[in-house]
Amino acid sequence: MLSTLQPPRSLTLLPFRRFHGSKTIASLASSSPTLDASSVSPPQSQILTTRRSLLSGETTASEIAKSYLSRIRLTEPQLKCFLHVSENVLKEAQEIDQRISRGEEVGPLAGVVIGVKDNICTEGMPSTAASRILEHYRPPFDATAVKKIKEMGGIVVGKTNMDEFGMGSTTEASAFQVTANPWDLTRVPGGSSGGSAAAVAANQCMVSLGSDTGGSVRQPASFCGVVGLKPTYGRVSRFGLMAYASSLDVIGCFGSTVADAGMLLHAVSGYDRFDSTSSKQDVPEFESQFLSMDSFESKPLKGVRVGLIRETLEEGVDSGVRSATQEAASHLEALGCLVTEVSLPSFSLGLPAYYVIASSESSSNLSRYDGVRYGNQVMADELNKLYDCSRGQGFGGEVKMRILMGTYALSAGYYDAYYKRAQQVRTLIRKDFKAALDHNDILISPAAPSAAYKIGEKKDDPLAMYAGDIMTVNVNLAGLPAIVLPCGLVEGGPSGLPVGLQMIGAAFDEETLLKVGHIFEQTLNGSGFVPPTLPNVA
Amino acid sequence: MATRALLAAVSACPRRRMGIKSSTCSSSLQFQRQESRIIARSFSSYTNSSLPDISRLAETARISLTPAEIEECEPKIRQVIDWFGQLQQVDVNCVEPAIRAEMEGGNLREDAPQTFENRDSIRASIPSFDETYLKVPKVLNKE
Repeated sequence: MLSTLQPPRSLTLLPFRRFHGSKTIASLASSSPTLDASSVSPPQSQILTTRRSLLSGETTASEIAKSYLSRIRLTEPQLKCFLHVSENVLKEAQEIDQRISRGEEVGPLAGVVIGVKDNICTEGMPSTAASRILEHYRPPFDATAVKKIKEMGGIVVGKTNMDEFGMGSTTEASAFQVTANPWDLTRVPGGSSGGSAAAVAANQCMVSLGSDTGGSVRQPASFCGVVGLKPTYGRVSRFGLMAYASSLDVIGCFGSTVADAGMLLHAVSGYDRFDSTSSKQDVPEFESQFLSMDSFESKPLKGVRVGLIRETLEEGVDSGVRSATQEAASHLEALGCLVTEVSLPSFSLGLPAYYVIASSESSSNLSRYDGVRYGNQVMADELNKLYDCSRGQGFGGEVKMRILMGTYALSAGYYDAYYKRAQQVRTLIRKDFKAALDHNDILISPAAPSAAYKIGEKKDDPLAMYAGDIMTVNVNLAGLPAIVLPCGLVEGGPSGLPVGLQMIGAAFDEETLLKVGHIFEQTLNGSGFVPPTLPNVA
Repeated sequence: MATRALLAAVSACPRRRMGIKSSTCSSSLQFQRQESRIIARSFSSYTNSSLPDISRLAETARISLTPAEIEECEPKIRQVIDWFGQLQQVDVNCVEPAIRAEMEGGNLREDAPQTFENRDSIRASIPSFDETYLKVPKVLNKE
């Protein structure tokens, strides 16, 4: 299932550098890893590598865990990806080692080091959604996605930084700290799942969970050069995900490879009786998509129909992003795809419709944070004042703004003009996508109009910030699955900045996305996107 | 990188299929983005009804704002709501509102209460707790 050493291929800017314990593992087939152009190989699945090396005795879960904790300690002062690092990592790793040594079965994620976005509840571990109103809050239960990870042996290494309650595209709106992009520490990692994306890019964890309401997994994946997978709405239970916009939110997965993101998705997917919007659709065995390159035919994607969304390459998109996307389209053609241009006429309406719906639903969802049952309370002599002050002091500026905008859009006299209208526009957008996907297997576009920008650049300009979501919001409105994978580099930063290609699929068709994404990634020249700025930990 | 240039571009796109009327321009904002040297022009101001009363909204949403906060967020909120106004231009005649993505329906469980095991953990999170009650200050009805 895993790729073996490939014949010499052309150099990318960045050599492949992934470390496990005290060994350097450039590829499974190599026992004496020398990192030069001739031994560069496609990116390897860390989940499968971990599984193989634990079961073969090559390393232990404790060694792996120690090396990740060490790398977190070393890199956190610069990156600030984590709001909380678990105190139980070594204990959990030891338990796995003991089970293996006793010959007991361990789950498919045994020993896999996983970051979890801080708006996903983890029992006993702080879960704050990066908000002061939930500072120190420890949930009494695990989110279903977290429960499943733990059942499969995964180790939650910590809670990652994010924009407060998911509202933002840079992670600057966290109440606690700003996460830096591992590719250039003066730039944003994207948002709102910036901490989760950056942690995977910096190899502080192997995979991570994020959430995606309007692009919050896909855009940071593009900015940080990692794979970000947004499942179909309903594929993954939202129980334990702190709700931002209930009709749009999903839990998504980050990995350094398509295979890892896909396997993590498989682990957390499935019907959950605690989430009435979770789907009873079967979850296919995604792992079978991740075949070794050796088994690829010469045109492994022959006949796959790809629609390039015309409206995503128009004015306002950086030229570097445009050419990276067009090159990616050519790469897909070389693999056998039939690439044509498609038009989604309602495309541009998605952005205002999204922000009306998201702020409206968030104004309702965030009314539960009142300082009475959990979270920070500001005592007052009267109940309404307690609410006012607890919320006024607990919420950050962006959150307050969105609640107020949502309150306006839902208020009497304006509901029809704003919220209802936005829902009608949503119907139009869904129809356009359905029509396009009736004639194409997947649609492609850039993940964002640019690569990562500087910290502070958009902070005071809400519309400029919102404009960056244009590539991603329509997918949430339509409830469709999408994957973003790095496809090229543009100028900027010490060694270039990654840009991601977004692939959008039909509802519940993550299988096709993973198949195309995996083959695209494994055949892309080079061996992966690894930020060059960080020290290696042996 | 998408900035106001992108907003201006997408809002200026002809949308014949949508039956959208042309919007009227009013105020303008300019800034220059250094990396790509694009000068973003203003986006159109769309028709809007009365501007939002921020203090009233804050009261409705039970959020206290300082005068400085109101001053800071008022123009931003107005700008965004103004931008929302472009949805008024869309022809949505006979279009059903979509509450969410396609759903299977019928996934409701029985309305039967179940005791949660970890009540201690819930109690530990409550700021003011007294025996079986959550303590809150008195309620004064203003209206």
